[in-house]
Amino acid sequence: MTAPDVIGSTDVRGMHASLDQLREQIVDLLPRLRRFARTLARDPHDADDLVQVAVERALARSEQLRPDSRLSSWMFGILRNAWIDETRTRGRRNRIFAPEELGENVGDAATVSHAEALSVQDAVARLPDEQRMAVGLVLVEGLSYKEAAEIMGVPIGTLTSRLARGREALQSMLADETGAMQ
Amino acid sequence: MNFSEETLMAYADNELDSQTRSAVEAAMASDPEIARRIAQHEALRGRLKATFDGVLDEPPPQRLVDAARGVPAVRREGNVIPLRRRRARRIVWPQWATIAASLVIGVIIGQAFLRMPGAGAPVASRNGQVLANGALAQALSDQLASTQTPDAQVKIGVSFKSKTGDYCRTFTMHASTTLAGLACRDHNDWRVQVLAQNPQSGNTSTEGSASYRQAGSEMPRSVQQAVDDNIAGDALDAHAEALARETRWH
Repeated sequence: MTAPDVIGSTDVRGMHASLDQLREQIVDLLPRLRRFARTLARDPHDADDLVQVAVERALARSEQLRPDSRLSSWMFGILRNAWIDETRTRGRRNRIFAPEELGENVGDAATVSHAEALSVQDAVARLPDEQRMAVGLVLVEGLSYKEAAEIMGVPIGTLTSRLARGREALQSMLADETGAMQ
Repeated sequence: MNFSEETLMAYADNELDSQTRSAVEAAMASDPEIARRIAQHEALRGRLKATFDGVLDEPPPQRLVDAARGVPAVRREGNVIPLRRRRARRIVWPQWATIAASLVIGVIIGQAFLRMPGAGAPVASRNGQVLANGALAQALSDQLASTQTPDAQVKIGVSFKSKTGDYCRTFTMHASTTLAGLACRDHNDWRVQVLAQNPQSGNTSTEGSASYRQAGSEMPRSVQQAVDDNIAGDALDAHAEALARETRWH
């Protein structure tokens, strides 16, 4: 996996200038980082924890930020990797606690009754991780396919097929409202 | 002509080259089924944005700001006031609610504009897209930020060219609630990209009308973000704005 935040570079700072400036740029990015984190983690508190981990990691390895790369892409990549680490840890935990704990979050979209239509957040939370990231980066963050693919470290074709599958799944989970809207 | 679902998605995501884009648009015009599928993709996108954009208007929790600024944890948790002076915060609008542009039109109209005499609804939906309507559409086409009066019902903020080469303009509109948003030229319409609502303020908020604030600071964060995401180069100055109006924003 070619994770953007481990690309080595000896070329320090450049246009990203001083560490203090970088800190302020990260402060300005916080709203977007929080938004992206919320597409990954369903719980807002977990999402903010994730942002905090990403911010701390970014500052600890600020020398890896290349002058020609966008700070936002770099930060999204770090956040993504932090999330993957987190889900791995969780995965290990969930193998012990699985059924009850996951009961609320897994399930076939088709079994959801029409009367209790899923909230958008719930529907997003049901997507497989990789689809959720594609949806989060492109549809929520508004990044181009190219940027999103780079952040996820996959070819554009992979990104678009994940996006397509994610979209399809969301459409069917949210069919009532989106379908009716036309 | 037949298009794959991925092509239609790419259209909705603005990822097609201009040739394919035109071909899709031609197909949309003649095939309602294609138009419907694209509208569905756009509606989903609008719905997702509306769900998650709200967080943009919240001030981030202090612990995250501290983490970014490197305020040590001891100070964060203890009673000691950090020595470092906090930067003046940008104006935030926690009460702004970003509206699912493609969804809540009825709500906006109901809440804000039923009592507006004769002006009509500010937005209308066509093929799943939200288009400016009535007084809003007219202001977007005709009004110049440099010459508008402080008491104009619709205020134009910044105008700029988007990455896709279309003219876009931010606006605020005062009625029984305040709406703020970004609209971009789409043929002869103005497509509303983001719409936020501030239910707390109404007609009465003239807020020192003599020195009307610069548009940027009036805007909720989700709108500012949409500008940042879409803008190519700088905002138009008064001269460029007037020229753009002369060409009917094409």
